[in-house]
Amino acid sequence: MAADTTALASTIGAAGTEAEGVRRERWRTIGRMVWSTLLLLILTFLVVYPVAMLLLGALTNTNPVVDGFGAFHLSLKNFTTVLENPNVHLALFNSMVACGGGTALAVLIGLTFSWIVVRTDTPFKGFISAVSMIPLFVPPLVAAVAWSILASPKSGLINTFLKWFDIDWRFDVYTMGGLIVIFGIYYAPYVYMFTASALRNMDPSLEEAAEISGASATKTLFTITFPLIAPAIISGTLLSFVVMLGIYGIPAVLGTPGDVPVLTTYIFKLTNWSPPLYSTAASVAIILMIVTGFLVWLQQRVISAKSYITVAGKAFRPGVTRLGHWRYFTLGLAVIYLFVVVILPTLAIVVAAFRKFLFIRNVASLFDMKQYSLIHFERLFENPLAMRSIWNTMEVGVVTALVGGVFAFAIGYTVNRTNLGGRKVIDVIATIPVAIPGLVIGVAYLWAWIGLPGGLYGTIWILALAFIARFMPDTIKALSTSLLQIHRELEEAAWICGKGMLGTIRTIVLPLARPGVISAMTLLFILAIRELGSSLFLYTSNTMVMAVLLLDYYEGGNVGITAAFSLVQTILLAVLIGVANLMSRGGAGDGIKQAN
Amino acid sequence: MSEFKLSRRQFGAIAGTGVAAAMLNLRPSWAATYGSDELIAAAKKEGKIVYYTADFTEPEQEVIKAFNKRFPFVSVEMVRAPGGQLITRIKTEAAAGKLLADVINHSDRGLMKGIEDLFQDYAPPNAADYRTDVAISPKIWPKSALGWSIAYNTELEKNPPKSWMDLCKPEYGPKKIGQVVGPSGGTTWTRIMFERQTFGDDYWTKQAATQPILYPSGAPTSDSLVRGECSIAVLLYNIAYIKKRDGAPIEINFPTDGVPLNFYATAISKTAANPNAAKLFMNWCLSEEGQELPIKSLGYLSGLKKPPVNPPGWDPKVVKTWVPNFEQYVKLREDWIKDWNKAYGYRQ
Repeated sequence: MAADTTALASTIGAAGTEAEGVRRERWRTIGRMVWSTLLLLILTFLVVYPVAMLLLGALTNTNPVVDGFGAFHLSLKNFTTVLENPNVHLALFNSMVACGGGTALAVLIGLTFSWIVVRTDTPFKGFISAVSMIPLFVPPLVAAVAWSILASPKSGLINTFLKWFDIDWRFDVYTMGGLIVIFGIYYAPYVYMFTASALRNMDPSLEEAAEISGASATKTLFTITFPLIAPAIISGTLLSFVVMLGIYGIPAVLGTPGDVPVLTTYIFKLTNWSPPLYSTAASVAIILMIVTGFLVWLQQRVISAKSYITVAGKAFRPGVTRLGHWRYFTLGLAVIYLFVVVILPTLAIVVAAFRKFLFIRNVASLFDMKQYSLIHFERLFENPLAMRSIWNTMEVGVVTALVGGVFAFAIGYTVNRTNLGGRKVIDVIATIPVAIPGLVIGVAYLWAWIGLPGGLYGTIWILALAFIARFMPDTIKALSTSLLQIHRELEEAAWICGKGMLGTIRTIVLPLARPGVISAMTLLFILAIRELGSSLFLYTSNTMVMAVLLLDYYEGGNVGITAAFSLVQTILLAVLIGVANLMSRGGAGDGIKQAN
Repeated sequence: MSEFKLSRRQFGAIAGTGVAAAMLNLRPSWAATYGSDELIAAAKKEGKIVYYTADFTEPEQEVIKAFNKRFPFVSVEMVRAPGGQLITRIKTEAAAGKLLADVINHSDRGLMKGIEDLFQDYAPPNAADYRTDVAISPKIWPKSALGWSIAYNTELEKNPPKSWMDLCKPEYGPKKIGQVVGPSGGTTWTRIMFERQTFGDDYWTKQAATQPILYPSGAPTSDSLVRGECSIAVLLYNIAYIKKRDGAPIEINFPTDGVPLNFYATAISKTAANPNAAKLFMNWCLSEEGQELPIKSLGYLSGLKKPPVNPPGWDPKVVKTWVPNFEQYVKLREDWIKDWNKAYGYRQ
């Protein structure tokens, strides 16, 4: 009897456990569906709806808000007009050559320096690492102005020095070659960020195996190291190419005098003419989106074809290649890079910010101290908008980095670490904004969100939402590289130990991906602070941001105040990035310790 | 030392005038010029205006500063954007019922005429002093006017061109002259319309033969002139004047064969949240005091029949001004811009 009772109890217990399991599974399924739906709804609001407005603008000749949804006639006229225009063909060709060449140079520089900093015994690596990121803080418009001051064929400072030395040869940055070089050196940090993080988190056992098998350091580098960090290289390459495609400041300042039109300068013309041709600009943007979409698809195919897991549950230190005397050569490369990319342009901006006027007759005139004053800084801070714009920019930068960072992590984790239904759709939608040029997306956001109830328009939040949406692909890609490298066995170990999904994320994934998360948030902060295109239509008198005021000064023809303001912006950014850098110290090693 | 004494009669006269003035409730003259006591009190209560402008930030800030010297209780919150973007923003905001602007100032009168319905009826106290030949709507007033000029870098150009026809001479080429492209906006359209209507259909071809450097707008053109990228530049006088005023090595000529003028279009929006402060701001901007500062210190011109002052270097007896026929300004634009692009090999 007692035995029967025990058996019955056991059967009831087993049935209860089974029922409990079924119930839990059902709840889990509902939870997954709710989660996927929630992400899709947010993405629809942030991406699909504004892109639909853009498409509507391209397929009609109307402003969807002004003319209403019932008044338009769908037509492909804008597309055919654009595709038949030989000037668009030339601009497209120039864009591909400038951005293709620029990307090749950026990969060469970025990869070389990430290897020098992470995997060699080159002296002063910390310093090299910190300074090589500086180009990222400089708005493209300011970088271009700096290089125009340095290497304009007629009045460039470098050419003034060459003349002084009686050298007949002249630099000319107003050429396709000039565009490629400036793109390459300013977008190398994108490649550097991705590849340095991957190299730092890479298990060196495969390299050690290659070394034991007798492979030379160079052969190991090209056959083991670089192929293993291929996702990071491809992501960095694609991101820098796509970002270059959307940049206006550099081709506007350097391409215009030499008559090298590109797609962004063409789009700018369309939006700036009186009357503005936004529908035509939208159709050019859609064409650009298709090209970029194809590249993103290609990248994902390449990455998904192989496994790139290099961070496993084993503590390690990345291997360091001893360079011997060659380490002074690599140090020399770094010094030249710093001189060309950081010191020279900064000097040009400093000269412009402190000099009353930029007419420099000869070398002696450059050092005539009577020509220098604080007038541009005084005028800048006399304007009450300057301080307001700095405060607003910081506020919107922090909000964007925090909210955007959390949202990007949620998407990155869902896409890369779960098998939830709809994750592929989420991935595709989240990648779309990378393909839309900033100059056009701003008006799409305005069309999409101005009619929303609740007083969003005119607040800092509408700017933050636009930045989060616009830079979501960049943030997710920066995060995904870290997430892809974490072996699933670590999460499985946590589940076996009884941790739930959130507990595993908190104790395993987040600590291991911390460098990636912080650098993604830092990237988002920098991009938000520099962003101009999406701000142009969404800022109001109370929410003026620095990028817009900087453009106002540039458009007002005052290079002195523009330079003074960009110097202030660069210093602010450098301080904030320094703090973020301190916070991100640690990385995979610390992560593993915490996880244990 | 002479002693100042009032006779009984003199004292009586002064006292009598004072009493009469008090009885008639005479206010300081500025109050009558800028608006009634009620308007000023209501503007004070509103305390601010939102001002949308296509003009440059720096001169606008100087004007706002001068306004606040007179009326410190009205703060001016400014949104500045290039012409095309500003008009798109205004139209979209208005359609969504969220037009934030109280006052709008735009350089393209054609575009402003197109959105006339968004503005309220308004006329300044000195409406009768304004030129009627440049009026395009009773709601739209010219806060300022701009005139085209030929500027040159004094360090590089010792024999500057003095007229539009001089700009066609081969000695000023190649790549010596900086030009703003025809389709860049209303002010440039005014200039190229003047060139063709005054000097004939082949003027652009002749001028383009000097191979000028083409810039997207006036700002980079003026910057290039100061730096010596080009030695001569066709510029709006106010853009060049500020640089000269601050000590840049440039000089400016008003061409002897005509100065095309472009009048700004300024209006108060129908949905202004601060209508009284907006009126007070407009009244002040359009008053003699409000016109004097931009002319004297910033190189602007005025829509007043008799401006209180003239910009430095401007002799009204010598300078021949030119104002476009507004109907033609709207009608000819598209086709002539295409012709200009062709003449200058500008890709659009």
